[in-house]
Amino acid sequence: MSEEQVPTPQIRANRYSLMTLEWPPGASKFDHWLSAQCEKAPALMAEINLVLKPPVGLPDVAIEQAVASIKAQGIGLIGLTGDPMYRAVATRLELQWVSAQNVTESNISAVAGPESTVPAQPTHAMVVEGPVRSGVQIYAKDRDLVVWGQVSAGAEIMADGHVHVYGRLLGRVAAGVSGATDRQIFCQQFEPTLVSIAGIYASSDQVPETLWSATVRVGLDASGQTLSYQTHE
Amino acid sequence: MATVVTVTSGKGGVGKTTSSAAIAAGLAQAGHRTVVIDFDVGLRNLDLIMGVERRVVFDFVNVISGEASLNQALIQDKRIEQLSILAASQTKDKDALTEDGVGRVLDELAEMGFEYIVCDSPAGIEKGATMALHFADHAVIVTNPEVSSVRDSDRILGILQSKSKRAKEGGKVVEHLLVTRYDPDRVDQGEMLSTDDVCDILAVDLIGVIPESKAVLKASNTGVPVILDMQSDAGQAYGDAVARFLGEERPMRFVDLKKRGLLSRMFGGD
Repeated sequence: MSEEQVPTPQIRANRYSLMTLEWPPGASKFDHWLSAQCEKAPALMAEINLVLKPPVGLPDVAIEQAVASIKAQGIGLIGLTGDPMYRAVATRLELQWVSAQNVTESNISAVAGPESTVPAQPTHAMVVEGPVRSGVQIYAKDRDLVVWGQVSAGAEIMADGHVHVYGRLLGRVAAGVSGATDRQIFCQQFEPTLVSIAGIYASSDQVPETLWSATVRVGLDASGQTLSYQTHE
Repeated sequence: MATVVTVTSGKGGVGKTTSSAAIAAGLAQAGHRTVVIDFDVGLRNLDLIMGVERRVVFDFVNVISGEASLNQALIQDKRIEQLSILAASQTKDKDALTEDGVGRVLDELAEMGFEYIVCDSPAGIEKGATMALHFADHAVIVTNPEVSSVRDSDRILGILQSKSKRAKEGGKVVEHLLVTRYDPDRVDQGEMLSTDDVCDILAVDLIGVIPESKAVLKASNTGVPVILDMQSDAGQAYGDAVARFLGEERPMRFVDLKKRGLLSRMFGGD
């Protein structure tokens, strides 16, 4: 590692909350929807930073119009994402292009120093002895998380990798926190308050009732947009 | 070596002070030299429950700040020879409790030959409560059979196993669950959580179930720890809990619905 004594600027992998505004194919009335949204939650819309994801095959003009109306509402628009064909539009509109592929990983390896170009050693999972109590937060950075025991209501467990709970899961659980959509949650007794993978989430009342208390595996479906659940007998 | 037993809950009004008084009295009755300390500085109650409010001259904070010696501040119980009480200050606030100060007092109590130091924790997760938790060897978690109390107890257990001295040194505080104000009738009607539900959520060994009882209020108001009222169901239940704490095995009582006779059902008597 570096021997330097003098502090140098560093590029760090920090996480900032950034919302994606998804514009599903076939949806019309974008302006109408946007102004309704701003009326409904003005404080929220003034606070958030957005990345716009237009559907495939939309004419450039429509995107330009949408960007104009987002800006007119005073919402912070960072850039565009989605189909690479919009990269040119982003440049033309002086917006950032946010690659839809695993953003953090690709960027980090590109900017890190020569030592870091060696692929990182696969790190072992973080193993936590339960019960994880209410008010406790656990985050397994860049690795899997294994909880042996219960996760109480009011506790939060998160991992960049997969999450395994060998016990009853009552609290909040998130896998793929940095955006990896192929991460999963495995749980012996599934009764979560909130479940999330790569930012796609469901609260307990959105979890299918048939899965309650069952042994469940949660992942994202092929679209990467919907949680899919699997149980085994 | 003295054993520090902290009685805590997170939520207020669940019966911490009643339980502290009962457990301390029970341990002393069993022949162990015991002192019970009120950590609820500013809202002291333990002296009332123990019936010594007129005998408090110096308190815990006076001892910590060096204004009085422990011998001056300790109040010897008149009913049980082995029991002493250290009252809280009503005029100071919880900032008067420092880690060094509390640690010094506990060490001194151990040197004086006390076997059990029972700490009556205040409600909440602020200074007084964390200070009472910090030195715990054992913790008695007092919980009512309702969801908010159970949630708060869970939170306290989390703090206990991360911030206590034992936890920081890599050990584990021994946890005991005490369910109070239990009413089998209401459990049966689905209005109250059952002991099984509570144990399931908290995953802690049950040390006792204290039934909802008129004897508790009477005991508080007359300044007699309820455990000394062996006629009452609550007194007997605390007796069982202390025996279990000391390693004895006893079946749980007062958890099942009483079979009511026809007459009592007709006239509503107990």
